[in-house]
Amino acid sequence: MPTAYRKSSVVAILLVAFALILADHLGSPTFAFNMGDGNVQTTLMQRDSTACAPCGAPCPSTRD
Amino acid sequence: MTDTLAPALGTRAVGVDRFIVSLALAGLVLLGALIWLETAPFLLALFALGAVLGVALYHGAFGFTAGWRNLIIRKRGAGMRAQLLLFALTSLIMVPLLGSGQEGLIGAVAPVGTSLMVGSFLFGIGMQLGGGCGSGTLFTVGAGNLRMLVTLLFFIVGAVLGSLHLPWWLGLPGFDPVSLIDRLGVVGALAVQVAGLGAIALWVNRIERRAHGSLERGELRIRPGEAGWWRTLLTGRWPFVWAIVVLAVGNALTLVIGGSPWGITFAFNLWGAKALQALGVDMSQFEFWTWDYPAMALADSVLVNITSVMNFGLLLGAMLAAGLANRFNEASRQRPQGRSFLAAVVGGLLLGYGARLAFGCNIGALFSGLASASLHAWVWFGFAFVGSLIGVRLRPWFRLPN
Repeated sequence: MPTAYRKSSVVAILLVAFALILADHLGSPTFAFNMGDGNVQTTLMQRDSTACAPCGAPCPSTRD
Repeated sequence: MTDTLAPALGTRAVGVDRFIVSLALAGLVLLGALIWLETAPFLLALFALGAVLGVALYHGAFGFTAGWRNLIIRKRGAGMRAQLLLFALTSLIMVPLLGSGQEGLIGAVAPVGTSLMVGSFLFGIGMQLGGGCGSGTLFTVGAGNLRMLVTLLFFIVGAVLGSLHLPWWLGLPGFDPVSLIDRLGVVGALAVQVAGLGAIALWVNRIERRAHGSLERGELRIRPGEAGWWRTLLTGRWPFVWAIVVLAVGNALTLVIGGSPWGITFAFNLWGAKALQALGVDMSQFEFWTWDYPAMALADSVLVNITSVMNFGLLLGAMLAAGLANRFNEASRQRPQGRSFLAAVVGGLLLGYGARLAFGCNIGALFSGLASASLHAWVWFGFAFVGSLIGVRLRPWFRLPN
C-alpha cells in the first residue's frame, strides 16, 4: 500500500516549525544572555507561586 | 482514544516506516541539542519526558474522548475505568509528594466558580466535535492526522480568545482554590480521592452491566498480544496498564523535575499570542498577558517554557510511535470535508476557549488537578462530562460516526 503522505510535505512542515522556534528563540532574552548580554531579564524558571491557577490567574478573593 | 485513530487500530501495517522514524529521531536530536545548548538540563529532561509521554499516548491509544463516548453510546466502560485507574495511581504518587511540604512543588490547583463550570462544559462539547482532548489532539497531530491539525489550529485560536476574556469571567461568582491536602492532610485527601474514583467506577460498572450483563475488563490486561513483549513495546498497541503506568510516573516526574504537574494548553495560548505579537499586536494591553507567568512566558523563548518544551517532545514522540507502527498519517487518507471539517473548526474553538476558562484541559485540569487533590478537578470532570453528553448528540449532524 502506498504511504498516506508526501515525504517533502512532512519535511517542509517540520522545517517550518523548527524555523519558527528558532526565530522566536533568537529574538529572546535567553539567547541575548547566552550571547553575553548581561542586561536582559531571562526567565529560565517561569514560576509564580502567588498565582491561583497553573495559567497564572489571580485568586478571586484578590480581585474584589 | 481519539475518534480518528480508534478505527484504524484494528488493522496493522507490516514493518516500520523508516523515513518517519528517522525524521522523528532527527527532530528529537536537533531540538534536544538546541535545548541543551541554550537552556538548562532540566528542560532537556522534560523534553525527553514529553517524547516518552507521546509514545505512551499513541501506543496506548490513550485518550479521554472516545472512552467517554463509549460509555455514553455503547455503554462500555473499559476506557473510563482505565482513566479512573490512571487518576488513582497518580494520586497515590503525587498527593504524598505535594503533602510532604517540599519546597518548590506546586500542585495543579485552581479557583472554583462560573469560569470553571462554563469552560469545562464547553470543553466537553468540543472534545466530541473536535475529535480529541488536549493530549488527544496533540498526539494525533504528531501522528500526522490532518483533521486534528485543523482542530489544533482552532484550539490555539480559541485559547487566545479565552485568554482575552478570562479576566471578565473571573469577575463572576467563584471562590479560591480548595486543596484537599491542605484541608484533610495526605491520608484524608487520598481517602476522599479513592472513594470518589471508586464511586464513579461503580457507576460505570452499573451502566455496563445493565446494558450488557457483564463487564469487559480490557483495562486490566497486562500481557501483550501475540506480537510479544518487545515488538508490542516498540510498535504498539500497548495494553492500557502499560500506558497508565507510564503516564502516571511521567506526570509525577514532571512535578519533581519542573516543580508543577503536567499541562498542555497554556502553550497553545502562548504560541497564539506570540503569533499575534509577531503581527504587531501589543498583547500587554490585555490583562491576562500582564499577569506574571503569562508575561514571563511571552517575553522569553518558547524553549524556556516548560509546557511548550514538553509539547514539542510529545509531538515528536507521537510521530516516532506512528512511524514505528507504520501508521503515520494513516488517518488522513480521507481528507476532512464539509461538516466534518466544520466540526474540527467548532470543536477546536470550544476546546481552546473552554480550556482557558477552565484552567486547563483533560491533562492540566483533570488529570493533574485530580492528582493534586484539587476540588476544581472534580468540578471540571462533572461539567466536561455533561458537555460531552451534548457533544455526542451533536456529532451525527456533523457527519461524525458515534
